[in-house]
Amino acid sequence: MAAAIQNSLLAALPRQSYLRLLPGLAPVELVFGEVLYEAGDPIRDVYFPSQSLVSLLTLVEGHLALEVGLVGREGMVGIPLALGVDVSPVRALVQGAGPALKMNAARFRSELNASPPLQRELHRYVHAMMAQISQTAGCNRFHVVEARLARWLLMTRDRVGSGQFRMTHEFLSHMLGVRRVGVTEAACALQRQKLIAYSRGNITILDDHGLEAACCSCYQVVKDMHEAA
Amino acid sequence: MRARRTPQQNRLLAALPAAEFARLAPHLEHVPLPLGAAIYESGGEQGHVYFPASGIVSLLYVMNDGSAAEIAVVGNDGMVGIALLMGGETTPSRAVVQSAGSAWRLEAARIKAEFARGGPLQRLLLRYTQALITQMTQTAVCNRHHVLEQQLCRWLLLSLDRLPSNQLVMTQQLIADMLGVRREGVTEAAGRLQAEGLIDYRRGRINVRDRAKLEKRVCECYAVVRRECDRLLAPEAAVTAVSAS
Repeated sequence: MAAAIQNSLLAALPRQSYLRLLPGLAPVELVFGEVLYEAGDPIRDVYFPSQSLVSLLTLVEGHLALEVGLVGREGMVGIPLALGVDVSPVRALVQGAGPALKMNAARFRSELNASPPLQRELHRYVHAMMAQISQTAGCNRFHVVEARLARWLLMTRDRVGSGQFRMTHEFLSHMLGVRRVGVTEAACALQRQKLIAYSRGNITILDDHGLEAACCSCYQVVKDMHEAA
Repeated sequence: MRARRTPQQNRLLAALPAAEFARLAPHLEHVPLPLGAAIYESGGEQGHVYFPASGIVSLLYVMNDGSAAEIAVVGNDGMVGIALLMGGETTPSRAVVQSAGSAWRLEAARIKAEFARGGPLQRLLLRYTQALITQMTQTAVCNRHHVLEQQLCRWLLLSLDRLPSNQLVMTQQLIADMLGVRREGVTEAAGRLQAEGLIDYRRGRINVRDRAKLEKRVCECYAVVRRECDRLLAPEAAVTAVSAS
């Protein structure tokens, strides 16, 4: 157990609480495109991503409509369970392949009951997540696609810990809730400014500062919120 | 017709078991919620939490440039100040009274202490937090995917569910501010609903004339929020209903 704890929610726990959780945590490799839960499904496991990324998506009339949350190493997938609700209101879709730690729902519930530090950390995370959702609502209302795409790329970078990831146009259009052509235009604009390179579904961030300047204020707001939590 | 003023007008307080309620009751303070009053400013500190008995409080997300949009409404179904219990000392949203009424308020330290006991109050408020998250999520989706007329219907229905009558006192400018759109858009959408006999809107008063039609016109977002809210609150409420009856 010399390895550093990569999930920051787990890393924030007192040593004692973390060690208590450890036997119940199983390492898993999340696969790109894997659905961890469908909207309306019971939550059977919770996940603490370390280098993976999970997107929380809402559906409208049965179709993917909008990403309302992005969970990486700063968080946990399965938050409703921490709030006493065992059904997921959203689809949880693996959007960046990689390792995570997984715990089954029953075990998680009993560990949560026994661990005030875990409760505290999760509640703080819920607070940051609510800020993220409200910011998404506001951002979707007021900001142009290009700025939102820039924000989304930076959020992804922060959560996977790398400026390079795979992403199709179609996927991005669900994330941002716009038509594919809108995504294409925005991505081309960022590419023309040499902020990103985008080819065959591979995105590389070329200029972090430039991208930060191109995105809306929402990025910094949510980042500060997560850091404060 | 007007019911006696009791904390149980708030559904969360009403759902608490007797022992929990008895601990809080002496500290609940009845306060008015005047139209337009800001209960919290975005980024401000929260000295109290509020359980509305009547009226509606809007939670607004304020952008850096000052523009704002509503992300959730809280009426007698909820509590304003959840962030405080989630370890956030400041609130990320602005809370403004959208429809005048009154609330029972509790000092921050008092609710935190009760929440920390980990009993029925904590369970109830955590479930409410999930219901609130669902409402915020659905608002984000609705803003993106549905036309203004549907959004207006959703907003009217969610507001009316939290009021004792089917009348809302509300200027078009205020609705536009809540929805984060221009006033002209609201005027147009409200005009259509009025022309079809769904609502009656004059001098800042909206009367719903045909609720069934309004429910047909609204997007699915309304039903999602309502169902989630009922589902999340029902089991706890059922527990206390046994002792109450």
